Amino acid sequence: MAAAINDAERRLMDRFREAALAVQAQVRQVTDMEEAFRYAVAQTRRHGGRTLAVPGWDPESRLLFSKWCPESIGLLTSRLRQHARDIHTAFTCAELGIAETGTLLLNSTCEDIRLATTLAEIHVAVLPAGGLRPDLASVERHVSGRLEGPGYFAFITGPSRTADIERVLTIGAHGPRELHILCLGGGT
Amino acid sequence: MATSESHRQYRRRLAAALGNPFLSGALDRFATSYLEARPGLFQGMDLDGLSRDLAEARNAALPLLGELLETFTAHAKQAGAKVHLAEDARQANAIIASIAHRHGVRKIVKAKSMTAEEVFLNDHLETEGFQVTETDLGEWIIQLRGERPSHMVLPAIHLSREQVARLFSQVTGRKEDPRDIQALVQVARSHLRQAFLEADMGITGANFAIASSGTLGVVTNEGNARLVTTLPRVHVALVGIDKLVPDLAAAFRILRVLPRNATGQAISSYVTWITGCPGPEDGAVLKKETHIVFLDNGRRALARDPVFGQALRCIRCGACANVCPIYRLVGGHAYGYVYIGAIGLVLTLFYHGIDKGRALIANCLNCQACKSVCPAGIDLPLLINRAHGRVLGSSPIKPLKNVLLASVLRDRRLFHFLLRRASLAQRPLARKGPLIRHLPLFFSGAHGFRSLPVLAATALRDRKVTHPVQGKEPVLRVGLFAGCLVDFVYPEQGTAFIELAQRFGVRVALPLEQTCCGLPAMMMTEYETARAVALQNLEAFSADRFDCIVALCASCASHLRENLPILFRDQPDLAPRLRAFTEKVLDFSSFAAKFLGLSSRSFRGTARKVTYHAPCHLCRGLKVREEPRWLLRTAGLDYVPARQEEVCCGFAGSYSVEFPEVSARLLQLKCEDFEATGARLIVTDCPGCVLQLRGGMDRRGSRMEVRHMAQVLAEEMVRPAV
Repeated sequence: MAAAINDAERRLMDRFREAALAVQAQVRQVTDMEEAFRYAVAQTRRHGGRTLAVPGWDPESRLLFSKWCPESIGLLTSRLRQHARDIHTAFTCAELGIAETGTLLLNSTCEDIRLATTLAEIHVAVLPAGGLRPDLASVERHVSGRLEGPGYFAFITGPSRTADIERVLTIGAHGPRELHILCLGGGT
Repeated sequence: MATSESHRQYRRRLAAALGNPFLSGALDRFATSYLEARPGLFQGMDLDGLSRDLAEARNAALPLLGELLETFTAHAKQAGAKVHLAEDARQANAIIASIAHRHGVRKIVKAKSMTAEEVFLNDHLETEGFQVTETDLGEWIIQLRGERPSHMVLPAIHLSREQVARLFSQVTGRKEDPRDIQALVQVARSHLRQAFLEADMGITGANFAIASSGTLGVVTNEGNARLVTTLPRVHVALVGIDKLVPDLAAAFRILRVLPRNATGQAISSYVTWITGCPGPEDGAVLKKETHIVFLDNGRRALARDPVFGQALRCIRCGACANVCPIYRLVGGHAYGYVYIGAIGLVLTLFYHGIDKGRALIANCLNCQACKSVCPAGIDLPLLINRAHGRVLGSSPIKPLKNVLLASVLRDRRLFHFLLRRASLAQRPLARKGPLIRHLPLFFSGAHGFRSLPVLAATALRDRKVTHPVQGKEPVLRVGLFAGCLVDFVYPEQGTAFIELAQRFGVRVALPLEQTCCGLPAMMMTEYETARAVALQNLEAFSADRFDCIVALCASCASHLRENLPILFRDQPDLAPRLRAFTEKVLDFSSFAAKFLGLSSRSFRGTARKVTYHAPCHLCRGLKVREEPRWLLRTAGLDYVPARQEEVCCGFAGSYSVEFPEVSARLLQLKCEDFEATGARLIVTDCPGCVLQLRGGMDRRGSRMEVRHMAQVLAEEMVRPAV
């Protein structure tokens, strides 16, 4: 029985990964939050970024982040409007993922999450174990619950893109140029 | 009236667009890749089912717009948004300007919104002294150029990378490289980032307004709408009331289809659901405000209209433009006003008035390409035709051609008498051959792009062609609906059919009281005349009991089957008689494939190389696709499909007379595609297409022949023992 469930989950994960890769997102498995956070730091460094915004996390996580964060990277935890011009990386936690389309569901009612995920160059999002759903129909109830206002709920599928010049697909129009999805625990 | 563009002026504008090779090249590549990618995106999905559900759900919602608006307003207000209703464009602009004034706004950033285009919001805000910046890349480009969008989803599709690079060089003051599109996009990104940060107010549209929660749904790719709704202290959404849906399930139903049909994506990069006014946390310095301005501008009246109401099912995917053969040649600036493509032709009349749509509305081939990709199942060709009727009806004087057509068509004897006389009158022009190459002076010029056929010396109806099958009872009794072109221009197509059918023991009768099918009358919006000739035909075919009625012209067949029930919708007493007739109507290929018991043994198997032209009213009208190809293969022909064999040849009845320049270009493209196959013979199922293609090939001096399927099959038959 357990094997069957794992099988179904693995198939869901494969489908999610395939759909996300098809829209130029990057997907990788991480074992714990520390690995996820260090990955976000590494990505920031790779691009020569100086800041890492961690909006919407609980106080315990924020405490751990400040412990793990190297001194060379500025950790932005709140009041992101003051940093609107210098948010390099956004590190967030998705609620669910849709396997069919490689989509992340991110509650963005907290304004700092919106600011970080719209202004950042790179978006690194954690997808908790067991958070995958097969298709749009299967998240309908969840999303309905999130429409109780006031609220701002986002479906994010791949990095920002445009095809407005000669229909040539170009990544990074206004939003993040890269989207990294870190699947936490589970499945393995 | 003074502001209305004349047909002649409009034709000049079309000719100018036809002279832009980049435009037609870009749009053609788009249409080709769109049509290739589309089936894959809906793979495993029941597209027809989805489309039906969508249409039903929209139909159910339209009469309830008032209630949906009330429910939405209550929920959105509770969640902190302010909701307004604008009756028309003027009011919408005034409301938005006053919000801006009240908040001391100077700079405004905008995300893409067709509704804002509809009311010319930018023009108004700029006159009021605000600085408005479009932030969608395509919209920004055309704003810098002082243009309007030429496509609902890809507003700058009419521009080349060189044009964009030149434009951006002016913005940055350094030379931008047209080869590096990534760098061009970067120019917009960094330039507009500043605009986002400085703006006091952000304006967006919305794809959905969910009544049950007061939520707006916004579908985007670039991420600019997320910045526009987040950064400035005031957010205003301008939303057509047709975007109201009862609940999230209804929005999801549209979302499953919209990005797939619009841009070929399973889902767009961002879908954002905003309920009320999700401001910053308590205690923040900035106070956020959200205003939702609903726009009526004729929508509630349209929703009540029994014919045109279905136009409000539109989900603004733009697919009807992508596949339109005319749009593909001339682009959105010449094929629409604010809203473009097939839906644009209709909406222009309702949202911008008859004068703005007068010249446009006649520019439709009725080729059904738009209808075949509309995910909301809108009968766009029919609506365009009805809208054309409204335009003509709004004018005190009917065009002379309508008056003539109406009076001549209703009197079969007069009509056929005139056709016979015309045959005599034409002879001096024709010299010896079957084609007229030199039109009288007043017709040449734009109309000389194809040779015209000579009317037959003896019409089909004047030939003694239908003999009873000797000896035994017929296996099938068929009534031949000849149609005017076969009867008077190509009687040889009729005789080929009769001989073929009789060889298989089918008895063919040609009822002589039959007349024009009425499609030309319907296309010219002479509905009374169309009904009158339909009744004559019903009468003509009622004397004998036929197993089926075969039309050699795909347009006649499609008209008789599909349009008659629409024309007589208000006469339910006629329905049983009508159904008995329409159900028996078949196009030639369907008939031959189904009833003649053909197999490869019936044919000589010459392996002659042929190509095929799929008539619009056969492949999309009647949805007959397999049968003609099966016939070609069974007949042992070497069938080489041409590129885009289902695209209209540009004949479209009187269209080729009204818009000769467009018709000529469509014909030219078709001829090139056919010649590229290396075949010598084009087979088709419609005498109208034969007329157009043969005339075009003759003009080009090409040796390619064009023949009706019935003739080709008759030629390929095993010869009976003498």
